[in-house]
Amino acid sequence: MKLLVVEDDATTGTYIARGLREEGHVVDLVADGRAGLIAATGSTYDVLVVDRMLPEVDGLTLVKTLRGAGNGTPVLFLTAMGDVEDRISGLNAGADDYLTKPFAFGELSARVAALARRPQGIETEAVLRAGDLEMNLISRKVTRAGQDLDLLPREFALLEHLLRRKGRIQTRTMLLESVWDLSFDPQTNVVETHISRLRAKVDRPFETELIQTVRGAGYRIAA
Amino acid sequence: MNGRITKLWRSMPLRLALLLVLLFSVVSLLSLYASYQVTRNSFEEAIRADLRQDLAGFRAAPNSGAVAALVRAESREADPNRLIISYIAPNGRIYGNGAISRDDEGFHIVSLNPDQAEFDGAYLSLTDALYGGLLTIARSRAEILALRDLFVNILLISLLPTVLIALSGGLILARRSKRHVEVVGAALDEMTTGNLAARVDIGPRWSDDLRQIGGKLNQMARAQEASVDALRQVSSDIAHDLKTPIQRVAVHLDDLDRSLTEGTPAAAMVDKAQAEIDGIASTFQSLLQLAQVEGGSAKGRFAPVDLSALCRTIVEVFEPTATEAGQTLELNAPDGPVTVPGDRTLLGQMLSNLIENALRHTPPGSDVTVTLGTEMGRNVLKVADTGPGIPVSERKKVLQRLYRLDRSRHTPGNGLGLSLVDAVAALHGASLRLDDNAPGLCVTVTFP
Repeated sequence: MKLLVVEDDATTGTYIARGLREEGHVVDLVADGRAGLIAATGSTYDVLVVDRMLPEVDGLTLVKTLRGAGNGTPVLFLTAMGDVEDRISGLNAGADDYLTKPFAFGELSARVAALARRPQGIETEAVLRAGDLEMNLISRKVTRAGQDLDLLPREFALLEHLLRRKGRIQTRTMLLESVWDLSFDPQTNVVETHISRLRAKVDRPFETELIQTVRGAGYRIAA
Repeated sequence: MNGRITKLWRSMPLRLALLLVLLFSVVSLLSLYASYQVTRNSFEEAIRADLRQDLAGFRAAPNSGAVAALVRAESREADPNRLIISYIAPNGRIYGNGAISRDDEGFHIVSLNPDQAEFDGAYLSLTDALYGGLLTIARSRAEILALRDLFVNILLISLLPTVLIALSGGLILARRSKRHVEVVGAALDEMTTGNLAARVDIGPRWSDDLRQIGGKLNQMARAQEASVDALRQVSSDIAHDLKTPIQRVAVHLDDLDRSLTEGTPAAAMVDKAQAEIDGIASTFQSLLQLAQVEGGSAKGRFAPVDLSALCRTIVEVFEPTATEAGQTLELNAPDGPVTVPGDRTLLGQMLSNLIENALRHTPPGSDVTVTLGTEMGRNVLKVADTGPGIPVSERKKVLQRLYRLDRSRHTPGNGLGLSLVDAVAALHGASLRLDDNAPGLCVTVTFP
């Protein structure tokens, strides 16, 4: 993927760019808003990573300007600690997701990946499949190797979320946001508990593990 | 109404006015009474002198016959209501316009006129034996009695207006000073509940002493606001200045972590350092968020929030933690939606902090109960536990930032959880109460 990182703090910028490059992406790094705007309009990127506080043109204006010009490139907004307002105004300005600093690199990478694939859409079939696992969204039945699995509503929602994003890492906070609708981290092990309950039903009785843990990042169902 | 009168009665100006009225009345009454006595005595003395003179006139007559003739002549012209002359001659005949009789009740003046049996009214009389007969002269005391009415009138005319004016003046002053004191009190109340910008609005007609008190209070409030602002500014500056370095440390640690082989002692050390940085970042995050919540700007994006659904989600999220610690977490909430205007994320964090707090500070086997209900038409959210509770003296303090009970120093947490709860409740216009759950703590959030 081709990514643009607009970040004025050199340490953070280099760190993000290097990490993303190590993952095989092509990364352009610029340090101010005006350069960011020029770069973003000058070539096509898969995802923009934009810091909120930027010299020249701030992140909010940058996103607004891009959206105003009809540029729909997905934007991951980086906000400083405690700037709850910025997060909301960032989303309102047209950003697709946000991440509060400091963040673990795995979180950033998972969110960038999630954004990049968004245009291709997520699975919209009535039946989701992974290996011999089948989830029927209409009858709300889940079977594996022909065996019925009895899932609680939250387990069903969690599995559905992972199946729809097959092959993509979903972090704890991403799962909390979409499965529990919580935009803050209550610092509990609820995600881990539900993943392990889900595994007990979906994976343990069978030979292959479908739900994978990605160390330091999150979970995914193998594509 | 009754309470208002009692309050008014306790006010200083009214009491002073009443005291002055009382003092003034007593002095006026005493002096009027004394002048009345003096005047009456001198009147009586004058009447007695008249009586003696009258008697002396009759004594000038040469014999009883002459006295009788004189009495008859004089009494014919005299008004018996004012002057009665009576002579009982030695032969028993009565001359004059009346006679003195005596019975069990005392002396009476009896009319000689058959139409009228007795004269009413009080008289002063003088009796003297004259030529074998008895001469009695009585003069009416009506003038003296009239004197009393006169003095009562003087009293009414002079004292009553004074008393009325003093009383109403006192009442007006009392009400005015009560209003002014109320203005001072309202400003103090506001300052106490956290509005440090509240000031006493000193009116142009305030009395000098209240004006001074109000001025000094405002001075104090300004000083306090300035120092709180300075403190806030300093902590906010520190927080902002440290944000970037903290973030860079996290970046470096993450870099380092990825360059190390998993399982080595160096990797374990980096993991520990990362956990510490996460803790620092989360404390900063909480401090900065607290400042933003207190700023109140979130009010602008309030939307209907279903507390019932939110309670279910948050309780579910904490369930595994409770089970792991051998505690029970229970929810009593209506099945249908319970909607309040608010910020869902902040309300969720508030409830999370309350539940987390309850789970963290209670031993295994404790019960934590979340209850959503209505009390007197208001939505009430309660989180109660059966743990050790919080001593009454500490209950206010635990809402302060970074305050921690001595016994909680070694449990995780940054001492900001309840401060955020307090701030979120205040943002939503809800009141926060910490009560004894006997045993344990019961935190009640009452929505408006």
